[in-house]
Amino acid sequence: MSQNPYQPINGEIVDIIDESPTIKTFVVVPEEKFKFETGQFVELTLPGEGEAPFTPSSPPGQTEKMEITIMEAGRVTALLHQCKKGQKVGIRGPFGNGYPIDDFVGKEIYIVGGGVGLAPIRSLFLTLVDRIKDFKSVVCRFGARTPDDFIYKNTLFGSWQKIAGVNMKLTVDEANGQWKDNVGVVTTILAPDDVKIKNAVVVVCGPPIMMKFTTLKLLEFGFVAKDIYLSMEKNMSCGIGKCGHCMIGKYYVCKDGPVFTYKQIKQYPDIWD
Amino acid sequence: MEAVFISKLKPLLDAVAEQMALYVPKKSGEYYVYSKYDPSANKSVEFNNIRTCTTVKEFIFAVCELAAVYPEPTGPEDIKPFAVFGLKDCDLRSIEILDKVFTEEEFQDVLYVKRRENMFIISSDCFDPSESCFCNIFDGRPYAQSGFDLNVSQVRAGFIIEAGSDKGKDFIEKHSQLFTEADQSLLDERDKNRAQTQKQLEQNNAELKFDATIKEIMENGQDSAVFDVEAEECVECQACTRICPTCHCFYLYDTRQKDYFTKMKMWDSCMRVGYAEVAGGANPHKILGDRIKHRLMHKFVYFLDRYGIDMCVGCGRCIETCAGGIDQRTILKKLSEEFKSKGKTKSKVAK
Repeated sequence: MSQNPYQPINGEIVDIIDESPTIKTFVVVPEEKFKFETGQFVELTLPGEGEAPFTPSSPPGQTEKMEITIMEAGRVTALLHQCKKGQKVGIRGPFGNGYPIDDFVGKEIYIVGGGVGLAPIRSLFLTLVDRIKDFKSVVCRFGARTPDDFIYKNTLFGSWQKIAGVNMKLTVDEANGQWKDNVGVVTTILAPDDVKIKNAVVVVCGPPIMMKFTTLKLLEFGFVAKDIYLSMEKNMSCGIGKCGHCMIGKYYVCKDGPVFTYKQIKQYPDIWD
Repeated sequence: MEAVFISKLKPLLDAVAEQMALYVPKKSGEYYVYSKYDPSANKSVEFNNIRTCTTVKEFIFAVCELAAVYPEPTGPEDIKPFAVFGLKDCDLRSIEILDKVFTEEEFQDVLYVKRRENMFIISSDCFDPSESCFCNIFDGRPYAQSGFDLNVSQVRAGFIIEAGSDKGKDFIEKHSQLFTEADQSLLDERDKNRAQTQKQLEQNNAELKFDATIKEIMENGQDSAVFDVEAEECVECQACTRICPTCHCFYLYDTRQKDYFTKMKMWDSCMRVGYAEVAGGANPHKILGDRIKHRLMHKFVYFLDRYGIDMCVGCGRCIETCAGGIDQRTILKKLSEEFKSKGKTKSKVAK
């Protein structure tokens, strides 16, 4: 590769959607065609300020614009949250390995998501439902802190639940007046018979603590480590496996991940920190 | 390979400097640092008997550099040919390690590749290994084995020059008037010097014997208390990572100029507390002992798994620079003892 891996592609924010009190989705149009696989991530640059890693929440098939859902968490994301439509941005990537969708064919796909972890899952979910007949079923178990904290509310509470082949349950840690569904952390809506474990793969994405307890629960149900796909959140910076900030053991999350099977990384003690 | 002889260094260095910028070791206090060679200066260049204090990494992996300009990209900085004199075998092997990282086919670091292509390497034999040198543990030698264009061996009457590459051969051919043939007695003297220095290194490190490979003792020592114990002496100055010729972590940051923006690339250190911290606050390496462990695991396990070589050349710079007196060799020895006491059956002496 002769191109400079640190050079961003220019892009523009053409729309901003408020998802929750702390989360917004930015619709970005890159100046050049931008291809990625679901689960891969990009480094989004706010010119002159810095960049941060995000997995697009739009499906790869949608090529003219990319959606990136961002929680206000640190310096760059706080500045991004102040941006208006028309803001120029830079995009580097895509980086790493996404979900191996073709390996999922014929299986039940059990997706467990929490909070802003639904962002990469939305990309995956839309990719899966686009070819839903290829899979036995798509079983979703999503959680958020409160009903307001759910992102993609319109589709999550509406059209997504009606897709044939999709089974969805939601939960919140704390309910409000209108909430009729389950109350409790996401592990409280996981059941051993949600899917047939022998012919299923699980995709987990959410805050580290949620991923940890979900993984432990799944192992208790009888899932094997190689069938549990985790989307790891580390301090990815260069995106090309060199700068070192995102290492988990010998792996560079930016290059070897961000999607790992639990089998790949379980030997390392600090994966949930 | 054919060797030639030259009685003084200056004509050789002048010939190099005629073609390109040349950097030579200069004594600063008790250490050598690099400075640009000035052919007009009357002072003769000192032959550094030991590796320099600062490392060759600075020539190819800049402390801070422009990684990209946007929104309108500009081509990479123009790198002119340059030469570095006085590199030792440990330095050459550190280049080999950095090459693995920055010239990987998949993602090449453009500036690094350009610098490497334009670098003329003049190595030299090591005569006076420091107490902290332990290159022999990693198959290092007090003389260049590979990875040089020219190598200089000091003998009583002058210097033996050998080419290690086509570039080096061309240089010797082009400047044949400077050299005479190096006869066998000179080569014998060189070999004797080399053997003597090698012996000294081995004597210095005679105590440094492990009961398994370093990888095995590191992997076995994951739960060892030694990292937290050593951390008590660490002042978190990061000098070990800065002065290490193989450490290559970096930090990307953006700047705003008058009518463009830049992405800058600057050395970073895995010993820094916020190094692995994410925006949400999670930090897998918030404990200093864990950072020390991660650094050594990277050097002796992770890098080896990935690239097939250790990420340490045993140059000992980290030992000399450490304000807290932390010595990697002590850590490895302790881990080796712990390995032994765990009663592992698979036991062999590490080279």
